[in-house]
Amino acid sequence: MSATRSLAAARPAGRRPSRGFSGGGGTLALLLPALVPVLVLSVGPLVYGILLAFTDARSGRNSVTSFTGLANVADLLGDSDFWGSFRVGLVWGVSVTVLQFLASLGLALLLDQNLRFRGLARVLALVPWAMPPVVTGLMWRLVYHPDAGLLNALLGTDVDWLNDFSLALPAVIVVGVWTGMPQTTVVLLAGLQGVPKELHEAVSVDGAGTWRRFWNVTLPQLRPVIVAITSLDFVWNINQFSLVYVLTQGGPGGRTRLPMLFAYEEAFRYGFFGYAATLGVAVTLVVLAVLGLYLWRQAREAA
Amino acid sequence: MRRWSAALAVAAVALAAGCSSGGSGDDGGGTAAKPVTLRFLSLAWQKESVAANKQLVEEWNKANPSIQVQYVQGSWDNVNDQLVTSFEAGDPPDVIHDDSPALAGFSSRGYLLDLSGRLPAALKNDIPPAAWDTVSFGDGKGGQGVYGVPFLQESQVLLANRKLLDKAGVRIPTPDSPWTWDEFASVAKKLTKDGAYGVAWPMKSPVNKVLNLALNFGGTFFTTTGGKTTVKVGPQEREVLQRIHDQLYTDRSADPSALGMGTADPLPGFFAGKYALVPAGVYLRQQVAEQAPEGFDWVTLPPLKGVTAQQGATSQTLSVPADGKHPDEAVKFIAFFLNGPNQAKLAKGDWLLPTSTSAATDPGLTTGENGWDVATASAKDLVVAPYLKVNGFDEWKSKVATPALQEYFANKISLDEAARRLVDEGNKVLERYSQ
Repeated sequence: MSATRSLAAARPAGRRPSRGFSGGGGTLALLLPALVPVLVLSVGPLVYGILLAFTDARSGRNSVTSFTGLANVADLLGDSDFWGSFRVGLVWGVSVTVLQFLASLGLALLLDQNLRFRGLARVLALVPWAMPPVVTGLMWRLVYHPDAGLLNALLGTDVDWLNDFSLALPAVIVVGVWTGMPQTTVVLLAGLQGVPKELHEAVSVDGAGTWRRFWNVTLPQLRPVIVAITSLDFVWNINQFSLVYVLTQGGPGGRTRLPMLFAYEEAFRYGFFGYAATLGVAVTLVVLAVLGLYLWRQAREAA
Repeated sequence: MRRWSAALAVAAVALAAGCSSGGSGDDGGGTAAKPVTLRFLSLAWQKESVAANKQLVEEWNKANPSIQVQYVQGSWDNVNDQLVTSFEAGDPPDVIHDDSPALAGFSSRGYLLDLSGRLPAALKNDIPPAAWDTVSFGDGKGGQGVYGVPFLQESQVLLANRKLLDKAGVRIPTPDSPWTWDEFASVAKKLTKDGAYGVAWPMKSPVNKVLNLALNFGGTFFTTTGGKTTVKVGPQEREVLQRIHDQLYTDRSADPSALGMGTADPLPGFFAGKYALVPAGVYLRQQVAEQAPEGFDWVTLPPLKGVTAQQGATSQTLSVPADGKHPDEAVKFIAFFLNGPNQAKLAKGDWLLPTSTSAATDPGLTTGENGWDVATASAKDLVVAPYLKVNGFDEWKSKVATPALQEYFANKISLDEAARRLVDEGNKVLERYSQ
């Protein structure tokens, strides 16, 4: 009843539709089609995963799962392989995000200029986006191939990029940057086009050079866009799986074993489902913490 | 809007009804003549081997209209991940091609059917006990069982450039009088000259290779006391490690730049005369025979001898899942697929050694051509690899042993340090599995 009354009351006023959701079976029925997939496909598995993290679930028909409390967390904290993988994940996540941002900003600034063939250049910049990660991985594996690879042919070297203990991670990071550039570029380009021309003109009149204009006008105007895209990139990157799985499978000797690869191995190779779930939860918490800190600082500086 | 959704609902109901009536129609009409369909996950990848597999399946399908086998192509790269998911989901293939290290883990988790008592006597007697030993594992509940039929095995031989051997005037070994490791070391030194190396050790995946060879000196790497398995790296285990390391850094008769290579990668250097000897599994002969330049004279040398010539062996296997719907039909198919004549075909296709004793007498497998006689003779020294019985070996291998051995062979850590890591970190890994 209250819903109909508030709806009826809202109609003459015209612009307060949101009050209609205060309750009643009708609204729930309307929400249900949207809610069911979210509950079944997102919330359900999430809760299941979190619950699994507190058990000793293992693969196998004759395994008995029991609740073990925080035992998995204790194991995790003492697991040097986890910390190694976590360090690889952070190095990867931070460096890919930063390099991606710098490269994309450069590319976006370039594409924002009044160049010839600008349309074509913009389309070309999007190409990596159109490729599935597995295809990207296979392609770059050919580029890095020790005997038949493009890179060794160009440099005249004989390096096994993806199997060298110290080169594998940098080599994979380059691919990560390349893959993630398009979406960052597009978002930054959109942001650049939103910067009012008048501001630039005003500062030019005041005698500011290109660098000054970039530093004092473009960057501050772009700030919300930059914060949004770098934090999204960080989340995507640290949770990256398919690209590195195709390139190195986490090798050599775990030098490129990102946290998600580690969790995958624990679950599907060694069969420790509970432990792998704990890993997933831990990485989620870390991502939330890092993001929280970053966004909080950005918000404070902006204020 | 409403009319559309009503139409959709009707369509959905009609579809569902159509499907279910189709299904029940099959059930009703089929009765006894309804053929059973088995999915056979095969991992054959070499061209000849895929052809041999498919041909045998076709032969079977023609002779057995009531049990139809569907060939499903798998890949060694990801088969175990794929199988774990399909086992957990309860929909595994009916006949599974895999290898004995994988079976060890699967059997203890109860995924596979115990085949002891189900196999026909002819098949059982055709395969020697040493091979059956590579598929006998604990069931994870204190019992023992046979979890696959072993059919192809691999031994480590040496592929050699005959011209270089003759030029250096070294003795060509025979299966009756193979090279000892000492003789091998001195030959490799003699062959190292004019920018060529005596030997190339491709050590991208060093663990199985080293562990299989370590048996030459009685090195087992694992010891079980009171039901608890631990890693052991004593003088016997160190022999082969030390000898390979000596060739690399003391004798300098092995090329250090070959270390990062996979098994087949040294072949271009081998053909070019850069390496006189390449240690490899017998299957590599196929690629040599196929890719060698015209006039390249190569020879297969028998396995090296330490205290013994024994090598650790694993097998390729066919298994039946515990959750399979047609276990009896699957066993029948396996018994056909792996009989003597068929094993000979499969062995020829993969250039590996058959476990079947009757297949081993096949003239195609005893000819001197392409080193088949030497390869087939080497099967007599194959014993079950000790690590097969170790629960958690896979994790030990990838997390501890592979990096430790790679760093040791790259001369980045000492033998003592490598041994310490193999044991200390290794025992920590194994502990997870003993709970």
